[in-house]
Amino acid sequence: MSRSNDAHDRARQLIVLAGPEALSQADQTWLTTHVETCASCRAFTENARETIHALRGIPIAAERSLVSTTKMTVRRRALELQRQRERLWMVSISCIAVTLFAALTTAAMWRGFGWLGERTQLASSVWQVAFLVFCLMPALVVGMFLLARETQLSDHTGGYSG
Amino acid sequence: MNATACYFENSMAQESTEIARGLRRRDPDLLDRLIEQYQHRLLRYLMYLTGRRELAEDLFQETWIRVLERGHQFNDKYSFSTWLFAVARNLAIDHMRRKQPASLDGLLNDGEAAFDVPATGQPTAFDMTLQREQNEQISAGMEHLPAEYREALVLRFQEGMSLDEIATVANVPLGTVKSRIYRGLSALEPWLKGSPL
Repeated sequence: MSRSNDAHDRARQLIVLAGPEALSQADQTWLTTHVETCASCRAFTENARETIHALRGIPIAAERSLVSTTKMTVRRRALELQRQRERLWMVSISCIAVTLFAALTTAAMWRGFGWLGERTQLASSVWQVAFLVFCLMPALVVGMFLLARETQLSDHTGGYSG
Repeated sequence: MNATACYFENSMAQESTEIARGLRRRDPDLLDRLIEQYQHRLLRYLMYLTGRRELAEDLFQETWIRVLERGHQFNDKYSFSTWLFAVARNLAIDHMRRKQPASLDGLLNDGEAAFDVPATGQPTAFDMTLQREQNEQISAGMEHLPAEYREALVLRFQEGMSLDEIATVANVPLGTVKSRIYRGLSALEPWLKGSPL
């Protein structure tokens, strides 16, 4: 009895999964033989076929407006991404250029300060500190400028207690 | 026969390679073509997955944006549709997680009007009417199935995917796919006969 039920279960699973890649030749042969001799599995096959047919027949279509909106959105996003990439490219190129330029000028400036220190007979520590200050000067000036601006802004808004 | 199968396999592999190349370039013309090609299939899949047309349409757009952004991740060893449906599925799950931490089961909506099957035109013959009735019954049945069963049925019988492809899309073992198809189809049968349990 249980063996017979197992056969039906197996047959039904094979019926449902039937497809070119799903069943081996042996399974296909076994199923054909079983269905020929089993009325309930034949009925199940018919029902499954009808269900699958009905399932395939359900019409769901995307509206034209959805498709055109999607295309537009995708194109807009593609443009954004392209611009982002171009900006990133520009920033990368600038960084590389600045790094190369800084490396070259630092070496030249170091030699220049050395030469000047020698000419003016300064202690090497003095011209080295001068070189360091010179290198840090732009950053110091910008930092001081930003600090001053920040202080000025906080002075303007200092009375506001929101 | 083998030569024909080989020809189709080669042309599909070539198509996948071309798509992968275009996606890496973020070629907008290619994306337009893909949107046209997969519009109905993707929307149908998302509708069955989410059970709601509005949500499916939102996810439809998000899916194509994601395809644009992550196109370089597409592996041309797989078919584009498999990857596309996997992307759509992940977005649907992300959406549900944002709403409430849940699995795909959470996509099963409660009592909302779903699967608004459009009219198929004026029935002019008995079989047209019968077909429409069957469609409506099956649509109603699908509404009551767990989302993972709906997904398996749609991918298998509407998209014609192989069991392996479905396993890839749904990210589950092959055995799970088989059992979902079997259980889903068995659960739909009473609806087709007009006597749901």
